[in-house]
Amino acid sequence: MPHAVGSVAGQKRKLPHDATKAHKSTENPRTSAKAVTQDSKDAILLLETEILESRRNYNNIASLLVICNETQTDEETTTAAVALCRVFCRLTAAGDMTKAKGMPENEVTVIDWLRAKYAEYTQHLQAMMRDSDESKQSTAMVLTMRLVKESASKDENIWRTGLFCDLLQTLLSSAQSSLAREELVEKYVDEYDDVRFFTLLGIMRILGRTDKGKEVDIKALVDHSLEILMRMEGPFPSSEDITDFLAGSPPPKHVLRSSNAHKKAAQDAWLSLLRQPLTRPQRKAVLNKVTTHIAPVFSRPELLMDFLTTSFDIGGAVSLLALSGLFHLITTRNLDYPKFYTKLYSLIDADILHSKYRSRFFRLLDTFLSSTHLPATLVASFIKRLSRLVLTAPPAGIIAVVPFIYNMLQRHRQCTFMLHRDPHPSFLAWQTLHPSSSSNDNPSLEDPFLADEPDPTKTLALESSLWELDTLRSHYHPNVATLAGIIAQQFTKREYQLEDFLDHSYASLVEAELGKEVKKAPVVEWEIPKRIFSAEGGGLARTGSLLEAVRAREREVDKGSKDT
Amino acid sequence: MPASQLKRLKASLRDQGITGPQKSKKQKKQARHDAAADRRVQRNRTLENIRTNFNPFDVKSAARPRKFDVTTNQSISSKNGRVVLGRPGVSKSAGEEARRRMLLPEMQRRNRVGGIVDRRIGESDPSMTPEERALQRFAREKQKRKGNVFDLEDAEEEEELLTHGGRTLEFGNGQTAKDDFDEGESGLSDGPESDEEAGGILRKRKRGDESDAEQGGSEENEEHPERKKSKAEVMKEVIAKSKLYKYERQQAKEDDDNLREQLDQGLPDILAELRGKISQRPPPTPAAPEVHNREIIMNPERAAMLNGASRKEVEKRYDEQLRQMAQDKRAAPTERTKTEEEKAKEEAARLKELEEQRLRRMRGEQVRDEEDDEETQSHITDDHFEEDPDDAAQFGLSGPPPSSQAQLVLDDEDEFLIEDDLIASGSDADPILSGDEDWATAEEDQVNDAQEDDFVQGLLSKEELGRPEFANSKKPTSNLTSTEDLAYTYPCPASHDELLKVFGGVPISDVPTVIRRIRTLYHPQLHEDNKAKLANFSVALVDHISHATQDMQSLDTVEIIIRHVHSLSRTYPEKIANAFRAHLTSMRQKSKPDSGDLALLTAIGSIYPTSDHFHTVVTPAITIMTQWLGLSRVTDSPLSTDFTTGAYLVSLCLQYQTNSKRYIPEATIYTLHALRNSRLTPDLLAAHLHNLTTMATLWQHLPSFPEIFRPFLPLLKPSHPKPHSHLSILIHSSLAQRQPLRLHHHRPIPIKSATPRFEDGFDPAKHYDPDRGRAEAQKLSKEYKRERKGALRELRKDANFVARERLREKRVRDEEYDRKYRRLVAEIQGEEGREAKEYEREKRARKRRR
Repeated sequence: MPHAVGSVAGQKRKLPHDATKAHKSTENPRTSAKAVTQDSKDAILLLETEILESRRNYNNIASLLVICNETQTDEETTTAAVALCRVFCRLTAAGDMTKAKGMPENEVTVIDWLRAKYAEYTQHLQAMMRDSDESKQSTAMVLTMRLVKESASKDENIWRTGLFCDLLQTLLSSAQSSLAREELVEKYVDEYDDVRFFTLLGIMRILGRTDKGKEVDIKALVDHSLEILMRMEGPFPSSEDITDFLAGSPPPKHVLRSSNAHKKAAQDAWLSLLRQPLTRPQRKAVLNKVTTHIAPVFSRPELLMDFLTTSFDIGGAVSLLALSGLFHLITTRNLDYPKFYTKLYSLIDADILHSKYRSRFFRLLDTFLSSTHLPATLVASFIKRLSRLVLTAPPAGIIAVVPFIYNMLQRHRQCTFMLHRDPHPSFLAWQTLHPSSSSNDNPSLEDPFLADEPDPTKTLALESSLWELDTLRSHYHPNVATLAGIIAQQFTKREYQLEDFLDHSYASLVEAELGKEVKKAPVVEWEIPKRIFSAEGGGLARTGSLLEAVRAREREVDKGSKDT
Repeated sequence: MPASQLKRLKASLRDQGITGPQKSKKQKKQARHDAAADRRVQRNRTLENIRTNFNPFDVKSAARPRKFDVTTNQSISSKNGRVVLGRPGVSKSAGEEARRRMLLPEMQRRNRVGGIVDRRIGESDPSMTPEERALQRFAREKQKRKGNVFDLEDAEEEEELLTHGGRTLEFGNGQTAKDDFDEGESGLSDGPESDEEAGGILRKRKRGDESDAEQGGSEENEEHPERKKSKAEVMKEVIAKSKLYKYERQQAKEDDDNLREQLDQGLPDILAELRGKISQRPPPTPAAPEVHNREIIMNPERAAMLNGASRKEVEKRYDEQLRQMAQDKRAAPTERTKTEEEKAKEEAARLKELEEQRLRRMRGEQVRDEEDDEETQSHITDDHFEEDPDDAAQFGLSGPPPSSQAQLVLDDEDEFLIEDDLIASGSDADPILSGDEDWATAEEDQVNDAQEDDFVQGLLSKEELGRPEFANSKKPTSNLTSTEDLAYTYPCPASHDELLKVFGGVPISDVPTVIRRIRTLYHPQLHEDNKAKLANFSVALVDHISHATQDMQSLDTVEIIIRHVHSLSRTYPEKIANAFRAHLTSMRQKSKPDSGDLALLTAIGSIYPTSDHFHTVVTPAITIMTQWLGLSRVTDSPLSTDFTTGAYLVSLCLQYQTNSKRYIPEATIYTLHALRNSRLTPDLLAAHLHNLTTMATLWQHLPSFPEIFRPFLPLLKPSHPKPHSHLSILIHSSLAQRQPLRLHHHRPIPIKSATPRFEDGFDPAKHYDPDRGRAEAQKLSKEYKRERKGALRELRKDANFVARERLREKRVRDEEYDRKYRRLVAEIQGEEGREAKEYEREKRARKRRR
């Protein structure tokens, strides 16, 4: 019911005496039990004004709470909650809820009572936050933040321990309140610097507490904190730009005014998150954002290293995603990652050409291998390994690999030995001297490449030849075969734009052919075969019997589905 | 101080021995005796030499002598090393002379009107000798004289005498016409009256009397130089010419005769054909025999004139017939029956040709030299990389176009129909013989000669027989036996639904017969609409392949349908290809093919040449198949458990590559995946093992054969020793054959050179601009400048000359005037003086008298 929320937000800034009028003007005429709600609303408002008129009417708070908790209609609950919020705001602002030294006994009793009611009220708000009704969540959020604002300007501890902390706890643990989380980030975290600061602090604290104690659903917690952290807007402002505060501007030299403190808070929040046991999708989500979101807020990105290396070691797609983060650290932070290329080499396995991260991997691989200072043995190993994989790759994979290898060979001309290796002159001389023996003693040419060697500098790939690419020249798909033909042509082109070759698939290949119209009549086989399914002497040939088997199976499946 | 000019001249004359001390008479005599002429020549030469040497202004040369030796290819005068740049005196006098010759007459003729222009042939052409001039003039005269040979009036003037009442007109003194002409000329001055008075004769006057007279005048004038030739010569010429004309006429006539003879020789053929096609062609026109009968009438025109028909009409008819005859296809000479050997040889040659075409398509080359495809083809294969913005596009990753044109080979269609005893022989007429088929080209005629023959014989009768038969929907002969209860006519189904309706009432075993009957009934030759109908029918048949297979109909039926589609797709290649492609498009969405799809894919494999580098139907088909196989890696793909369909797909893929032996990675992956599965039934295991051995045999030439097939060895080792040993032997032999790659035997690309080119004979005056256009432009502008300067100079000189001439003329005029004035004055003075003397004398006398 955003309407009600809007009215509440509007009223907050209004003076108490015209609050009633304002409220009346915004009442909802469409409600079915119009008369009843109008009455109850009036009653609630009456109670509220009475509280403000005299301290004697404080008991009205209790009755309002009862309305809040027990009435059925949402509208009444909301109205009561809003009224209570106003009441408590005023009380807080007036200092009626703070104890002072030398206060009379009865005053203290009143304050204690008020505090108890206040606690009860906040409990109620948290409950509303967990409600599945999104409008309630939103209202509770607004009301809570309003209370936080009022109380935080009096007492800063409210951020760290009080109401705000409870709010965060609720948000992080409740699966329902995703809208509230979104609202928090959008309306408060991104708007107010102090909210952001304390949110980060709170997340860190809540996550830090988990391992100590009770049974908490860590997965949900991590999920929700990830949600909040991911939503936060980009770079942090510099110290001069930190000017937006929800609860009044703090004195100069305050922690809140320092950009570094903000960054540190963010870093700590992330670190505490990363220390949690992450599931695979969570890890992937984090890794996806490492370079764009996480690394920039880290004042010491090195701290990410452990996380990245462990991710890299996991293997598969996660390793792939960790690659770019690692590379970021290596290039910007001078991170020394020993055996990076060994690791990278190990990533190239049979699945890589089938994986959906193929194009991403090739982009990265292109970057990693772009240096011309890499040893030729290493580059050759990569080339050879990729070409081995190509033997079992789908056409789309081949289309990506061939130009890549071309570019590698162009960059590292020493590796062209893999395409063209003239026999040693002395061997030729020997061969001419012993013409008869040459044919017989031709040693069986086992590929010198050691496919199982993990170290790319020791695979002897440079001594091998790229027979696999030569094989591809007779690939069944005409375009692939033509593309593979470039390795046998003169290397006149400086470089192929890898980007053009990465995003192909079976679908795109078939589309390219079926999408076109037939302009010319296709060639038809000139000979009409006498037998297709049938065998020469009657009965079915091999193909025929196979097709018959397929049909039999289909029939079975049909029957099975009919029976069930 | 050097000696004076005169002294130097004297000295040089003396040195050369031209002047010297006086010689005695004896010496002179002797010298004259020696070699008078020779000496004079010698003398003149030396004198000339002295003259040029003496006047330093005759030769223009550089202001100062050269200081250093320089290399140049300009000539240096050998004598004193001075370069002669020009001879101003000589060129000046030559220019003056030219002006005097050209400009002066022009100047003098200025502001004058009229004058006599000599237009006689060769009069102003100095290169002609008088004889040549005379000859040309004579020839011209002859031509002019000749005019129209058949003009009676002209001839009369020349030769015929005037007659009156059939008698020659004679004048009193027996004058000839020529004399008469003379008289007429003389009488011209007297006027016509005097003429009449003179003879009183009616003289038939020519039309252009005056012009004739004038002609006579000019004749005399022009014939004058001709007189120089002797009369005998002239006559000879005339005779030779007339002989030549006569010969030419004969030649032309002979040519005509030859042509006619040729036509006559061709006539029997034409007639034979006419007779052969009697039913289709209009009866031969009556003129034909006339043309034919050479003995009686040679010239049709004249014959027609004799017959009384108007000449034009007959000519027109004749032309028409001739044209028709030329257009008629000349019947091929009846070929003798070929021996078995020859037939076999021809067949072998045809097969070889077809096989070559197939191979060319397999390699992705052009089958025919089609211009429009050339660029796209080069787009695929050539390496002009720079122009293309998208690197991937140049490999046709948006797809290359189909490579070749359909070629229609029609013989087999009928072979198969007859051989299977499907149809009454020949009633399924050969489309080649139907004239409206545009694709029945000569080439194919040649190819199909042998088959055609059989159909030519007796075609007509069958054609005639066929029509009423079909109209009555009764077919009398042989194939009644098997399917007696079947109807003979069916509506031609235009869609698959209609097809199903037609086939609905027919037992499945008779479906092939129905298809055959529909094809016969709606043969394109029988009606022009049938072509479209049959096209739709063939599309419906394609749909029916899939339907029949899924409908659990006998595979024999499906096979026959496929073969029908195959034979139809020669006539309707595009329609059927599009139908197949539509099916392929719908297959793309499926995750697994059903049996209907498999049958369609099999049909594609048998109908189209699967070995082509690119084929509009085959390439997408195999890509879709491999997509299904390739997705078997994904665990939830239906094919990863359905090994029956998988086995069929793999074997189909391999069947596609029987000829071209191209590598299909997905097939190996899938077979490996299937063999790893332990729950295969023995049948399926056998099928997959068979696939494995097939692909091993197919791809044994691949350089990475060992790497591809090694993963299979551990799977086969314990249980299947036979394929295992087969595979390991192949691997071993492949390894033995393997050589290190040597792919780059290219000519090295020359490094761009930046060193300047060295010219051997460098000439600083020449331009060595590598930019040809610029050099040419520069050359042109230079020339223009030079020409302009030259023209200005010439104009200036002309003006000078004109001014000089004017001055001279004025001077002459003034002088004349002066002289005249003085003469007059002198005359007057003389007269005056005489008169004065007279007066004095008179005076003196009077004085004396007095």
